[in-house]
Amino acid sequence: MPSKRNRKEQMLAAAQYPLDWLEERSGLIGGLRYFLFRKVPGDSGWWHTLGSATLTAFLVQLGTGVILAMYYKPDPNSAYESVQHINNDVTLGWLVRGMHRWGASVFIILIFFHMARVFLFGAYKYPRELNWIVGVLLLPLALLEGFSGYLLPYDQTAYWATVVGININGTAPFLGPFLASFLRSGSEIGADTLSRFYSLHMLLLPGAILGLIGLHLYLVVRLGVSSPPWSSEAAGRDREQAPAVPGSGLVNPAPRGVTKRPD
Amino acid sequence: MPSRRLEERRIAFQRYKEDVKRDGKPFYPYAMFHDTVMSLVVVCVIVGLAFVWHYTSLLGPSLAAKADPGTTSFVPRPDWYFYFLFYLLRIFKWPNSVILGTVGIPTILLILLLAIPFIDMRRERRLLRRPIAIVAAVLVALSMGVLTYKGATAKEALGAELLADVPNWVKAEKLPAQAVPGAKLFATSGCLNCHTYLGAGGSQLGAPDLSAEGSKNKGITFQIQHLKCPSCVNKGSPMPSFAAFGDANLRKLAIFLEASKGPK
Amino acid sequence: MEPQQGQGKPHLPPPSLWPIGFAIGIVCILVGLIVSWPAAAVGALVTVVFGFLWVRDVTGGYRHEDAGIEPAVGGPESATGGAPAIPADRGEAAMPEPAPGERFPRSVFLEGATLGLGSVIAGIVTVPILGFTIAPVFQHPHHDEIDLGPITNFKEGQFVITTFLRDPGEGEISRRTAYVRNNGFIDAKPSFTVLSNRCAHLGCPVQPNGPMFDKQKIEETTKTGDVSLIPTLPAGGFGCPCHGGQYDQEGNRTAGPPVRALDRYEFYIRNGRLAVGRTYSVSHVDGAGASAKIHKYKETGPGEHVDGPEQWFYPLQPPT
Repeated sequence: MPSKRNRKEQMLAAAQYPLDWLEERSGLIGGLRYFLFRKVPGDSGWWHTLGSATLTAFLVQLGTGVILAMYYKPDPNSAYESVQHINNDVTLGWLVRGMHRWGASVFIILIFFHMARVFLFGAYKYPRELNWIVGVLLLPLALLEGFSGYLLPYDQTAYWATVVGININGTAPFLGPFLASFLRSGSEIGADTLSRFYSLHMLLLPGAILGLIGLHLYLVVRLGVSSPPWSSEAAGRDREQAPAVPGSGLVNPAPRGVTKRPD
Repeated sequence: MPSRRLEERRIAFQRYKEDVKRDGKPFYPYAMFHDTVMSLVVVCVIVGLAFVWHYTSLLGPSLAAKADPGTTSFVPRPDWYFYFLFYLLRIFKWPNSVILGTVGIPTILLILLLAIPFIDMRRERRLLRRPIAIVAAVLVALSMGVLTYKGATAKEALGAELLADVPNWVKAEKLPAQAVPGAKLFATSGCLNCHTYLGAGGSQLGAPDLSAEGSKNKGITFQIQHLKCPSCVNKGSPMPSFAAFGDANLRKLAIFLEASKGPK
Repeated sequence: MEPQQGQGKPHLPPPSLWPIGFAIGIVCILVGLIVSWPAAAVGALVTVVFGFLWVRDVTGGYRHEDAGIEPAVGGPESATGGAPAIPADRGEAAMPEPAPGERFPRSVFLEGATLGLGSVIAGIVTVPILGFTIAPVFQHPHHDEIDLGPITNFKEGQFVITTFLRDPGEGEISRRTAYVRNNGFIDAKPSFTVLSNRCAHLGCPVQPNGPMFDKQKIEETTKTGDVSLIPTLPAGGFGCPCHGGQYDQEGNRTAGPPVRALDRYEFYIRNGRLAVGRTYSVSHVDGAGASAKIHKYKETGPGEHVDGPEQWFYPLQPPT
């Protein structure tokens, strides 16, 4: 055996070893390979990037949020000053805060765009109904993130918008007054309200959003994405003729309704 | 029938999977390239907005004054994506309908959104063959857009800010000097909570515009009478009485109103 | 990949008690180092003796055997040949019904016990957490009487914008504003109207519809914190800039979305000083000033009706 070739193979094997080690013990590499090399419809394109763009915006929020949390003090007596400190003193603090502030807006805009795309593509239809529901649940969670984060700078706008927001919750029938009281941590907005909003904003709500995003992505990978409905190459389009894949019993043309379309 | 439809949908999905398997492209790198470019754009936009926020005043101040729970002169505004709700609350200006704006409509919208896949069970995905969907989408987008726009441009009457407007009024209406005290009183007395004057003030309560009130030439005595008891001279007027100002102040207001002959 | 076991024969050392003595010796050395040198010496001796015996014991067991080197595990093929991804279409998630005669048949008892114990855990963990988060909702906050200064600061018939600390212990966050009017005496007792400036629509700060006399501002430090008094002439009542609610001078709604009149504070006269206490909600007020008939209700959140059919939306209220 030529030893040079043998050595190269050995080095490759050594480089592979950690991956193999991981794969053997977790199967993660295989999962990643499946995720990356799975087939998507050939006519998917820019329209389908809105979802991942939304995810990117959310990840920006996570990253910048973690950094902001290192300097922010959720206490009515120092919250405002700590935000000023972030803005004025911390190196590039203004940038991180600006990214977090406007990342939130971009995140929400993208959610709406993504939702509009899915609606216009009719991509919420069978078998993707559940994924639509998960997505719709993500929308109010994202809005709640915006609402709970709005109080944190503790300036006039923050305080009064939160007063109104909490009272809006309070007008819900029956449980509303209790919900408002829960959000305020008592009958009046006080010191505990701010830390409560802080906790909701950076632990409970992001946790819930992350979990639902995981489920959302799992369903996307499991069910695939829809082709644009106008595409003549749309995956799963109706065929006038015999099945494209002969021998596949399931595709055997059962008599279908009138929604046939000439290809 | 339903079972037939179910069967059809299953077959169609099976066909989708086969099509994708046969003709699809690998997610990486073909689709992921698009995703990555889009994500880059998103991150650039976010960073760009942060820069614009920091270096210009286009996006508003980075921090308002510190919270003052005892303030009497502040108008809170939500973040822009709640403007639609903010304006909805202004639309429902009757006490009995408050609950519609606060929880009713948002809840209904959310339930409708959740129910969409169960309302529209057809297999058809092409837009032109989904007229109801198109109409619904356009209506929702339009109304959200209009509400957000109205919310963003909604004006409110804040005494301190209106007072700063008085010199502009003097200029635009060519007000005589003796009308200025009345103008100041007018600006700080909440008249513009309901009325409008040269584009200032809240109009959602539907009170008439007063920019050209003087051109009706009703006379100072009438104006004073009207301010004292609006419904006495103007049957059914919902305007409250301003009699508590006292005659001297009412005279100032009346002079100002009579001097307001409209912008020249 | 198959995990590769040893070559047929287990090569475990025979059980031995010497390591225990060895370990005790080491402990003695370490303790001795701190406590006293002789103890360390004894420990060293014990360690050496037992160590020797242990080594002898261990090597005795292997003396005639050659411990083989185990082949390395893994190889390049394991990653590429990794478990094939599960096809996306194969989804079965139901709990399988065991076949009859199986070694572990379905045990209703075990299932119930597992789920039951799980709920016990969930309960033990959740109850304190929930109690901790929700308790503030049901706690009655105490309301101190807030001293607003001598009643001579309040001119009869004039509204005064009064800001004060509602809860001095909480600090500035509890600063509140009330519109206070001295109504003069009724039956030799001073009468005041103390309107909260929280809009009854959604809680925005209500403003006086009339000029404020900033120059006549009085600042006062009472035992319950700083109080500031600014006279005003709200001839047009009060207005809320947020959503356009309007009130008259008694706090009655005159226009816009507020669902009731402005809330009011209870007031007390203590040694010639004005003090305020709890707030209460008001549906409407008949009459004016000292002789007004106030339709009083328990304090309720903004936007909640206290009378009319809509009050049934809010049958229960958290304590305030």
